[in-house]
Amino acid sequence: MNKKLLIGAGILALTGALGISSLAQTQKTEIEFWSWYLSPKFDPYLKGVIADFEKVNPTITVKLADKQDTMVRDLQAAIALGKTPDVVNLWGDATASFAQDGLLTPVNDLTTNDALRAQFWDNTIGMFNVDGKNYGYPWYGWTDQGVMAYNTELLQKAGIKSPPKTLNEVLSMSKRIKTATGAYGWLPPIKDPNGASFLGQFYLEGLAIVKDGKAAFNSPAHARLLTKFVNLMKADIIPQDLLRKEAFQLNNELYSQGKSAFIIGGAQALTRVKDANKDIYGKTKVVEAPLGSAGVQTGGSMSLVIPKASKNQKEAALFAMFMTNNASQVKFSKLAGIVPTTKGAEKDPDLKAANPNDALDVATSLVSGAGRFITPGWKSPKNTDDIYKNFNDNIEAAFLGKKSAQTALNDAVAFWNANAK
Amino acid sequence: MRKSNTIILAYAFLAPALILMALFTFYPVIYGSWLGFTDYSQKNLSGEVPANFVGLDNFKTVFADELFRTGIWNSLKYLLVVPMLQFASLGVAVLVNRKLPAITFFRAAYYVPVITSISLASVMWDWVYSKDGVLNWGLKFIVGVLNAVASIFGGKLEFDAFGWLNNPDTAIWAIMLVTFWRGFGYYMVLYLGGLQAIPLELEEAARLDGATPSQTFWRVTVPLMRPTILLCSLLSTLAAIRVLEEIIVFTNGGPLNSTYTSLMYVYSKAFGSKFAFGTASAAGLLIAIVGFFLSYLNFKLTQEPPDRSRKA
Repeated sequence: MNKKLLIGAGILALTGALGISSLAQTQKTEIEFWSWYLSPKFDPYLKGVIADFEKVNPTITVKLADKQDTMVRDLQAAIALGKTPDVVNLWGDATASFAQDGLLTPVNDLTTNDALRAQFWDNTIGMFNVDGKNYGYPWYGWTDQGVMAYNTELLQKAGIKSPPKTLNEVLSMSKRIKTATGAYGWLPPIKDPNGASFLGQFYLEGLAIVKDGKAAFNSPAHARLLTKFVNLMKADIIPQDLLRKEAFQLNNELYSQGKSAFIIGGAQALTRVKDANKDIYGKTKVVEAPLGSAGVQTGGSMSLVIPKASKNQKEAALFAMFMTNNASQVKFSKLAGIVPTTKGAEKDPDLKAANPNDALDVATSLVSGAGRFITPGWKSPKNTDDIYKNFNDNIEAAFLGKKSAQTALNDAVAFWNANAK
Repeated sequence: MRKSNTIILAYAFLAPALILMALFTFYPVIYGSWLGFTDYSQKNLSGEVPANFVGLDNFKTVFADELFRTGIWNSLKYLLVVPMLQFASLGVAVLVNRKLPAITFFRAAYYVPVITSISLASVMWDWVYSKDGVLNWGLKFIVGVLNAVASIFGGKLEFDAFGWLNNPDTAIWAIMLVTFWRGFGYYMVLYLGGLQAIPLELEEAARLDGATPSQTFWRVTVPLMRPTILLCSLLSTLAAIRVLEEIIVFTNGGPLNSTYTSLMYVYSKAFGSKFAFGTASAAGLLIAIVGFFLSYLNFKLTQEPPDRSRKA
């Protein structure tokens, strides 16, 4: 009898143990993470961070998918089909758009404000604020000015001994470089396909964009600045292709071919030069970027958002916090020259330039502490696409001589104020 | 086999294709048309907020939008590529439909642009159209030669190089040439297939009756090619009215909306910041109506003329 009891108890214990272990297995939660344009180059980095996360959180597994051009459409389709990913890498305008339509969970509902503030700079959290709620965990950032890389050989040929310190100097040196070498100097953003990049020139010079909730970029000072750039394009000091191509892309292309002398922007631009033309990269030196008369700069950051329809919100928030923490962003900065949005990166010894002769190393160290200064400069109006398209059309009309600078700005302001509702 | 069995069997064979078409063609068309009468946008995606029926409001919005009218006008302008494409590809198909040394090489070579990706083509054509590109270089050379001649008479020609894709007067024509280049080989192959299906005896009989090569071509070959001509012109007309890929890659609708086509309007409404799928669907329906009308015109233009000799 006792023997039978023992065997029975043994079987029960074994079944129980198996049951518990299988229960533990079934309780493992899988979350899906969509990154944006990071594969294949940064696959090892992403997989490494995911492995670290899974080690710390053994009950969660992360499935990674990298989306590219179709990110927004794929996310819309996934939401419509009820197969939403749990963590998604979006950018400012897309985050605002999905949040305004009630498709995202406010991050404050999942992570305490204290935890957010301990990890990120306040200005970066605020970038994803829609109607008083934050919808994104700030991920890797950039500054539109940040650093300036310059081709030492082209400057030497133009007889320039030291790099420019202000944007005005950049423009006057650009003229000298064009005359002496045929290469362009700087390629300022004029009409990038997404956004209204010429507004950035106003911001850098301290000229108002919006006053009392109304567009106000049509003063004579604004018109003078626009005219100055129009004349530079007429004289071919800046290329007309800037009306058709993104400045960042075109600048990278021309700089890598030795056809432009300056790159002003984030350190990440240099990774492309390094990949494209080692010879030019070797002739490149990096200094802090020259600024406009206002002494300010613009920038932005990516966000990790959690769709409202995600079934694993808690786990998603855990992962988003891990992916965006200081250690993960510092590693990424080392690889890609991004600006970490986290507190502590500015002091991280890993981001100090190990090799003062390596342009990328110097650039990364220069921008590593810039997270606290990242600001888009101005808030996009509602009805963004129509308003920015109209702004760009007017700017283009001024550059192509179809409208005077003042008329173009007056028309853009009138449209903005009539449609930003 | 009884007639009813035959019918059942026929439908059984048709069923897989019909199911696929119902799922991937009829349903999207019907649903997309329905969306044109609603205010469906991104906020309705999750199903929590239903879309509202708005009647003809979207159509009114579209008609009132100057950009849509610009888009339709540019798309109609783009149709000019169709006759050029058809005449050229038919002409070259006739030329390569001969037994000549290395003719298969030429047939393949003409087809290469068809299989070239648009991104690669865009890089190449960018070199051609840029301010210091091949086209301006060629024109400068020609102007140089002409000036050498003109200088004898004391004249001088001026030519300032410019970016062909940056100029609102030339951008759309420059992109049309790329469409021409990309489509030419495709239609040539279709025409070649049509030409090779014509029985040789018919052309031989015409020649024996004393017809000149030109008469044989216009009186025998072209009439027999009518179905292929209809197919090719229909396909190229619809492709021209729906052009988008080239526009996005080269100019994104600029400069000054000179290349902004009707489908670009649909695309920007559907995938812009507002995600106005309702407005986009309404615009899409209007473009479809234009497409139907143009297809009807194609049928009419390629219809066989009534045989007057029989009436007599």
